[in-house]
Amino acid sequence: MSLPQDVKKSLAEYKHTSLFWTDLLYLMSNRQQTITATGPFRKLAVNAKKISTETIEMNEDMTEFNTRLSEYYKQLNDTWNEAQKEYTRKVPELPNDTENMEASKRIWIDIFENYFTRLFDSANFSENFGKLVTGELEIAKHWNNMTSTLLESANMPTKKDMDEVYKELHSLRKRVAKLEKISNKGGI
Amino acid sequence: MANEIRVDAKLLAEFIKLNKNIMEAPSLAQSLEEIDLEITPYEVVYSEGKVRLLHFSPLATKQVKTPLVIAYALINRFHILDIHPKKSWVRSLLNQGIDLYLIDWGTPTQINRHEGFDDYVNGYMDNCIDFVRKESMSDKVSLQGYCTGGTLATVYASLYPEKIKNLILTAPVIDGRRDSTVVSNLAKHMDVDKLVETVGNMPPELMYYVFSILKPFEQGFEKYLNFFKNIHDKDYVENFIRVEKWVSDTPPIPGELFRQWIKDVYQENLLINNRMYVGGKIVSLKNITMPLLTQVAVGDHLVSPECSMPIHYAVSSEDKTLKIYPTGHVGMIASSFSQKKVLPEFAQWLTERSDK
Repeated sequence: MSLPQDVKKSLAEYKHTSLFWTDLLYLMSNRQQTITATGPFRKLAVNAKKISTETIEMNEDMTEFNTRLSEYYKQLNDTWNEAQKEYTRKVPELPNDTENMEASKRIWIDIFENYFTRLFDSANFSENFGKLVTGELEIAKHWNNMTSTLLESANMPTKKDMDEVYKELHSLRKRVAKLEKISNKGGI
Repeated sequence: MANEIRVDAKLLAEFIKLNKNIMEAPSLAQSLEEIDLEITPYEVVYSEGKVRLLHFSPLATKQVKTPLVIAYALINRFHILDIHPKKSWVRSLLNQGIDLYLIDWGTPTQINRHEGFDDYVNGYMDNCIDFVRKESMSDKVSLQGYCTGGTLATVYASLYPEKIKNLILTAPVIDGRRDSTVVSNLAKHMDVDKLVETVGNMPPELMYYVFSILKPFEQGFEKYLNFFKNIHDKDYVENFIRVEKWVSDTPPIPGELFRQWIKDVYQENLLINNRMYVGGKIVSLKNITMPLLTQVAVGDHLVSPECSMPIHYAVSSEDKTLKIYPTGHVGMIASSFSQKKVLPEFAQWLTERSDK
């Protein structure tokens, strides 16, 4: 269930046009800007391009995510309708009194529980759900990249930098624990 | 009148009563923050990072010498084992003279995202168990693992059999391919690499979603309807709030641990096939030679019995017992049934095999 060809084509064209003009404007702009190579203005132009690319790609992924989300709700909706049909067939015309209300509630819950558990147990559901989560993660990735670009321009640590710190800390803690064990056993 | 709708007077009265109960609920029930869980007293005897080792104060004069260490699950909090004084797994074992320790995994943050099975088993668990061995002056301890804690306990017992006297696995996650639950179905199609690389730790919200679709109508609708119907039953309301507090409190799972979990246990099923590696060592279930008690519940919708039971046949232990109970995942550890049936059998099994 990928994007239709015509949507893909128009997205690619939009991306190309946008990048083309960003590049050209950047190249055409006053070369004196390079004097401020260490300042925020040059960074601003480079960052604008990065953010623009990420935004375009995020929109592409958003379309894929929406397709998966629609399929997710379609699966829920179809299952609901099927369960409702089954319920209507099994409980045609019970009198409206408390005893029958309780019985029909029980039947309603059992039928809906069975239909939905079957859906959640199916390969179709889990495949689409897996892709839905992946789509959401792709969007999150672009968002992270955009945030990182801004953080970088402000000379602040990015997610990648923090991950490196966490990894280093983790490895250091392991080394210390190993050394402590050796030292406790009298190895040092 | 042709279009007249007839409604039973009793039914109308029921409806009005339910509405009245809903209106009165805030004055009859405590909020999740207000409830006092009446946790059995304990002391934090060892801690490392976010992990704490709890030692519960004894409640019986005569103690079993071999201590029991419980490796709680990685999902939700250990409070389910001490949910109510009358339904407490912890309290029942203490009353039966068991010297009880429990590993509380705490709340991992992004700094813990690179921690995996190696850190949990060879690091935290081994350090906790060494601490207990030293403090209790016992060469070996008994180890119980519940749910995902059962998997950690299995891996630990395979790698350190010399430190474990008895192994008790309660609804352990062992054979991912045989697991017929919704959890397993979703796990099989998850791009866990992308998840961990993008968000770090397994977000509790996603886990909460997975639990919410396990029994959507019983848990999402009927449970709340019954709550309002029984709003004047003090015990019912209190029990409801206690369990809801536990259900709604899910900590994140460290990214690397979650990645290995999903891949090795659910997607590639390495654990039961003796092909899983932890800290560079192969986890062979054949190394498990100590007495083993496996407890499973036929109505378990989180870890199906088919997923847990293969451990009974995969180990080398000669003294092994498999108990199958007519209850559910939580019912096995926190219910009146558990107090009457599961715990007495467990304590008897354990006492018979422990140093007095």
